[in-house]
Amino acid sequence: MGLIIDKNTCVLCGGCVASCPNGALEITDEIILDEEKCILCGACADSCPVGAISIEKEKKEAQEAGGGIWIAVQQSEGKPLPVALELLGKGRELADTLGCRLTAICPGKSSSFARELIEAGADAVLFLLSDRIGDTDDNAYAHALVPLIRERRPEIVLFGATILGRSAAPAIAAKLGTGLTADCTALSIEPDSRLLAQTRPALGGNLMATIVCPDSRPQMATVRPGIFPCPEPDPARTGTVETILPEGLPKGLITILSQENKSDASGIADADILLVAGRGIGSSKNLKKVFRLAELMKAEVGVSRPLIDMGWAEYPHQVGQTGATVAPKLLISLGVSGAIQHLAGIGGAQTVVAVNTDADAPIMRHADYVVKMDCVEFVEQLTELLQAK
Amino acid sequence: MKIIVCVKQVPSSNEVRLDPVRKTIIRDSSEAVINPFDVTAAEAAVQIREKLGGTVTALSMGIPASERLLRDEIARGADNAVLLTDRAFAGADTLATSYTLSKAIEDLGGADLILCGKMATDGDTAQIGPELASWLNLPCVTDVSALLEVTEKQIICRRNTDAGAETVNVSLPAVLTIVKNLTTPRLPSIEGIRRSLKADLKILDAKGLGADPARIGLDGSPTQVIRTFPQQEKGEAVPFEKSEAASEVKKLWEEL
Amino acid sequence: MNDLILTADRIGAEYLRDESRSTGTAQFAVFAKSCEDVRTALRFAEENDLPVTIQGGRTGLAGAAVPDGGLILTLSGMDRLTGMAYENGKYILFAEPGVVLLELRKQISTRKIDTSGWSEESRQVFSRFFTDKEQFFPTDPTETSATLGGMTACNASGARSFRYGAMRGHVGGLKMILADGRTVKIRRGECFAKGLSACLPCEDGSSVEFKLPSYKMPDVKNASGYYSAPDMDLIDLLIGSDGTLGVITELQLILEPLPEAIWGASFLFEKEKNALTFVNLVRSEKSVVSLEYFDAGALEILREQKAAGSAFASLPEVPECIQSIVYAELHCTDEETALERLLLLGGLAEKAGGSEKDTWVARNTGDLDGLMFFRHAVPESTNMKIDALRKKEPSLTKMGSDMSVPDDKLFEVMDLYRNGIEKLGLRSAIWGHIGNNHLHVNLLPSSAEDAARVKEMFLSWAAKVTQMGGAVSAEHGVGKLKASFLEIMYGPEHIEEMRAVKRAFDPAWRLGNGNLFSKEGGVK
Repeated sequence: MGLIIDKNTCVLCGGCVASCPNGALEITDEIILDEEKCILCGACADSCPVGAISIEKEKKEAQEAGGGIWIAVQQSEGKPLPVALELLGKGRELADTLGCRLTAICPGKSSSFARELIEAGADAVLFLLSDRIGDTDDNAYAHALVPLIRERRPEIVLFGATILGRSAAPAIAAKLGTGLTADCTALSIEPDSRLLAQTRPALGGNLMATIVCPDSRPQMATVRPGIFPCPEPDPARTGTVETILPEGLPKGLITILSQENKSDASGIADADILLVAGRGIGSSKNLKKVFRLAELMKAEVGVSRPLIDMGWAEYPHQVGQTGATVAPKLLISLGVSGAIQHLAGIGGAQTVVAVNTDADAPIMRHADYVVKMDCVEFVEQLTELLQAK
Repeated sequence: MKIIVCVKQVPSSNEVRLDPVRKTIIRDSSEAVINPFDVTAAEAAVQIREKLGGTVTALSMGIPASERLLRDEIARGADNAVLLTDRAFAGADTLATSYTLSKAIEDLGGADLILCGKMATDGDTAQIGPELASWLNLPCVTDVSALLEVTEKQIICRRNTDAGAETVNVSLPAVLTIVKNLTTPRLPSIEGIRRSLKADLKILDAKGLGADPARIGLDGSPTQVIRTFPQQEKGEAVPFEKSEAASEVKKLWEEL
Repeated sequence: MNDLILTADRIGAEYLRDESRSTGTAQFAVFAKSCEDVRTALRFAEENDLPVTIQGGRTGLAGAAVPDGGLILTLSGMDRLTGMAYENGKYILFAEPGVVLLELRKQISTRKIDTSGWSEESRQVFSRFFTDKEQFFPTDPTETSATLGGMTACNASGARSFRYGAMRGHVGGLKMILADGRTVKIRRGECFAKGLSACLPCEDGSSVEFKLPSYKMPDVKNASGYYSAPDMDLIDLLIGSDGTLGVITELQLILEPLPEAIWGASFLFEKEKNALTFVNLVRSEKSVVSLEYFDAGALEILREQKAAGSAFASLPEVPECIQSIVYAELHCTDEETALERLLLLGGLAEKAGGSEKDTWVARNTGDLDGLMFFRHAVPESTNMKIDALRKKEPSLTKMGSDMSVPDDKLFEVMDLYRNGIEKLGLRSAIWGHIGNNHLHVNLLPSSAEDAARVKEMFLSWAAKVTQMGGAVSAEHGVGKLKASFLEIMYGPEHIEEMRAVKRAFDPAWRLGNGNLFSKEGGVK
């Protein structure tokens, strides 16, 4: 039990010592473990080239579960969030591998979108219909799901790793006493054990970890939106639809006083889409074209520091070390050379498109897509294209 | 008001290096710090105490060396601290950790308010807060970005939601998870550091907590990491031709 | 024409200026990627009789990188680390001049260095470095986008220079291409002057012979003019030569092991007098590697920028009653020692009239970054004020002094500054490296007339600071903007001696025209 080091197999290479985040291992004539420092994280076991280190735990019987795979659907203004459809696509694949049913379970105020879920891959749609389950009400969402999971015993339950998903799923997991993996970016079925292999970034994305839940049921995960493709709707698909009116939802402990939509609280730091203009934009007149394009793209506009220095834009638009740190899903960099302070501010961007006439500009080495052309010309072309739409 | 803040020791850096020869991961045993989200939560707790009076207790499950960080939390304004440390706690996933913390909170006679950082920078799970609330049967408000009105009986706060934000009123006792920009934590003063060196620190083990051995540590953890591997480096950038650039970027935009 | 040579229409406006906000003109520019490019550029300049201005990150504050007509030679593209050696227990990193400080630090701390093209010996040293204790490069100018070449040319320093000294002590060797294309390769400890006579060998077997200036340099932090001392190591002349003697194309940077405990503490005082007393009390404490200062004017500007929101909104609140902040950074072998030293500093703060309650202590990198951000925010927020003024009056430049005095003159020099500022009646902000009695007095003029009065005042300060045994430029270098101060500090005869050194290296007066001194007698 715990950390087992097979001293006969160990070749004293020291890999485990380097891998330990707590400095709990030391090599003298043999490996020595300082139990006071060890948190059984398993990094050493992973690093061992000869498999001399393992973490052993008591084997238990897997709990019984025959209810197939469930996708917990989240509603927004009477419609399912896109991540639910993405998960149905992936869930279909997993259900086919396991040979089980795929159920979309939808707590919320609406029960009008069964067809969409079936066409995305669901065999069954189960509405938990109640006016008390608001779009953002994680507590009610969790309370509605727990008794049903207890009763119908799904093998796997997947949630979108949205704010609601990441708060309701743990509440449910703790009530059920089962495991939950947060914010997964890959899912598959382990060939031998037929367990759900849940892969997620750890340590700020520097490391990927694959996690299983061997004996507790259901196996639960929240899955990052936008990772799996939305399936093409298949109008030929059929499925069952059931509506349940949940009872005994708690009331009164949390009251929503007011709500506001994202668009009210804008700013380049929170923007999903960001256009960033640099010196290459040439003039303040051209910068106006960037703002026009941003309107069409529902994007925010950031600029590099020289444009602030020249007085073309105000400080809240500055991206970089001394300005705002941004983390948009899509960042289009227009005529920015990419000084190191600027690059420090855009490290969190998911996808970076860099448009610059200088193929050697530092920004080009930090982009996912590069376009070697005049950025003003690019802005004009893209604007034209979007206006034609 | 009696406030408990749950804090976790994390490495200050998430950097990993790849050993060029062995191709294994090297984690420089970088300095240990309190999870920055938890530091913000603790600051929020201290600000509440400064207004309403009461006590702030920092609670952590960790290795014995975590004592140093709990003392740091006292230097930053907490009144006292409790460290849960036992070999039997090692290997805990979020379920076992939240169970252990819930037993400690019961042992401390409960609290009017329990604050957690939204997530820890090493695990990024954001699960401890809601799981803890579940064990304690308390209401939970996650992703709190502002405390608008705090009284002995209730808190009006603003939280981030998928739609944007909302303002909610929650009756106490409750669990709140705090996002990092709620407030800027103060730094300890030398006076605070002197106080922290003298402060009493309560240390509890599994027996002392009366925890169910099957629910703590490795045995109480349903999940299991089966492999880890370094994230792939960003590859070569994809070039777009000048003539197609606009339409290609339009595609990227539409895919969002 | 050679592809390498860009004509005026293809030179971005940013290459005509530097962080001093002063602007020049140029007809051509070369973005060098190699020593060969540097030689091509110098040949082109010779053929067309053009002056050459060398540039790195253009973060200088004295205008040394601002072109004075002719050709701009930008080295920011020479940005590779090219090898590593291990000598006398120290790692030595070979760097091209365009390597940016921030990038250097990142590569040293993460040890993610591109070693392709390195020699076998270098690679072997690197594999030792990879598993050894973490190292660091001690010179830490506030602006981390500075290039190592620029830092060497102006003998840059930073907060930690209080204990570690300026750039000079951390350069173990360098390679310089002279205006005529010859190469000088020099390593510390290998080539000394005999008295004031010097002979610097070139790679082709020829040599540069000259006589060193006869002045005695002040015994304070100093980046004013050529370094000169009898029997000196000649590498020290090339470091700090402000782009006037040759083009630095390779550097050997001496790394130091990173101390176990790096802590920072800010001490808040209600009276400036108490802050200065505190500085005099802690100066001799060996664990203190930097002592920085922020005065009431700087804190006021910071409060305004914080209130205006933006990136500075997360700065800690400085109570209105606080007039002065002294920041100290401690480097210790372990945390126990650091704690002991910190508590000692706390006691000294109380003795000086402060309080242990009014302190901010950073004991981990995250908190240190916070204090560092505060430090960085001070000049940044003042720059933002200046930029706002410039919108109305574009001729204005940043007006900051860079003078240092001996330890016993700290109170005296502060009186000088305060009286001068009061007389002018302009808004000011003082910050800087108070451990070296080296403060940047910054004034916010709102008109060209104001600016002229500030300049006049700085000139009068230069004379008084020289009398106190101080230096007119402690770290920014003299460049073009402070050439007139240099004349005040050394007098015309000594300036003429410097000219003679310059002529020996660069008889055609090709490089760094206008830096340090003008070509002809008299100050430009």
